Amino acid sequence: MSFPRSSYDPRRVCLNPFPEFNLGKHRRTIGIYLAGALFALANWTFLDAAILSAHAHPPYDEPQIPPPVHVAFVDWVPGICSLLGMLIINLIDKDRIKGDDGFGDPGAVWRARLFLFIGFAFMAGGLAGSVSLLVLKYIMHDYPEQYTYYGYANVSQNVALMLSAVVLWIAQSVHEEYDYQLSL
Amino acid sequence: MAAGLKTVILLSFVLAVGFLLIILSCALWANWLPLLVALTFVLAPLPNALFAHCGGDEFSAHESTAAVDLGRFITATIVVTGFALPVVLTHSEVIKPAACVMSIIGGGLVYSTIMAYTAAFRQDYSEFD
Repeated sequence: MSFPRSSYDPRRVCLNPFPEFNLGKHRRTIGIYLAGALFALANWTFLDAAILSAHAHPPYDEPQIPPPVHVAFVDWVPGICSLLGMLIINLIDKDRIKGDDGFGDPGAVWRARLFLFIGFAFMAGGLAGSVSLLVLKYIMHDYPEQYTYYGYANVSQNVALMLSAVVLWIAQSVHEEYDYQLSL
Repeated sequence: MAAGLKTVILLSFVLAVGFLLIILSCALWANWLPLLVALTFVLAPLPNALFAHCGGDEFSAHESTAAVDLGRFITATIVVTGFALPVVLTHSEVIKPAACVMSIIGGGLVYSTIMAYTAAFRQDYSEFD
């Protein structure tokens, strides 16, 4: 009994399938604009919570009770992790990861995959950290909805950062047909 | 060129209305933070304009170098910032909702003026490429 010959390197554990997107001419541009918009939206969602926390005032019917919770440095950490992960992912040359080690030293492919892994680990860590922050800091203490909003904003910041990274990745691995424009 | 002249007059009129709305949104409530919106939208087309010349040469239709992509990314970020800034300021009760609406409409007018200007007058000098 023999296994059929696989189309990939069987020594590899992780396969990144690189779907061959063959989209229209402007899809790449639209994808990059969309990624930038998502990036800004993510950061403004969190900054909204931070500014809201800085301007928080006690409820009008009980003016002597101060706001029970504020956005502290802990809330910034998941976003910073996601940002670092996005930066690392986007600094990697996409052709290196595909493993066409025809040129250069073969160690470069391995190193590129390692850094890609670290980048994705940072992003996933940021997302998980924001969810655990939401649960541990806001939901467990039964704050009113006005204050749990800080935690939800944090989670949506990290989700949007991850979406932005995914959109950017897909947009940049679109294969455009190599056509010449000979203007005579 | 009569059509070009009319376009210029119309665009400058729209630009003036946009700036009027932004400045009114600041001055009516004596809170000059929405003026940042005008600055943001004026800065928005700048990265695209700077990085557009870093594209490929004239034989390949790629225009897909990393610099061009970076310019587009930063442009999208700044445009969303321009719309998000008044909303965030309104949410934390720094500016009034009416000021938020006025500054968003004014900023949109300013930005669309810049976009329409570049789109309308791009034809003229790509004739000689």
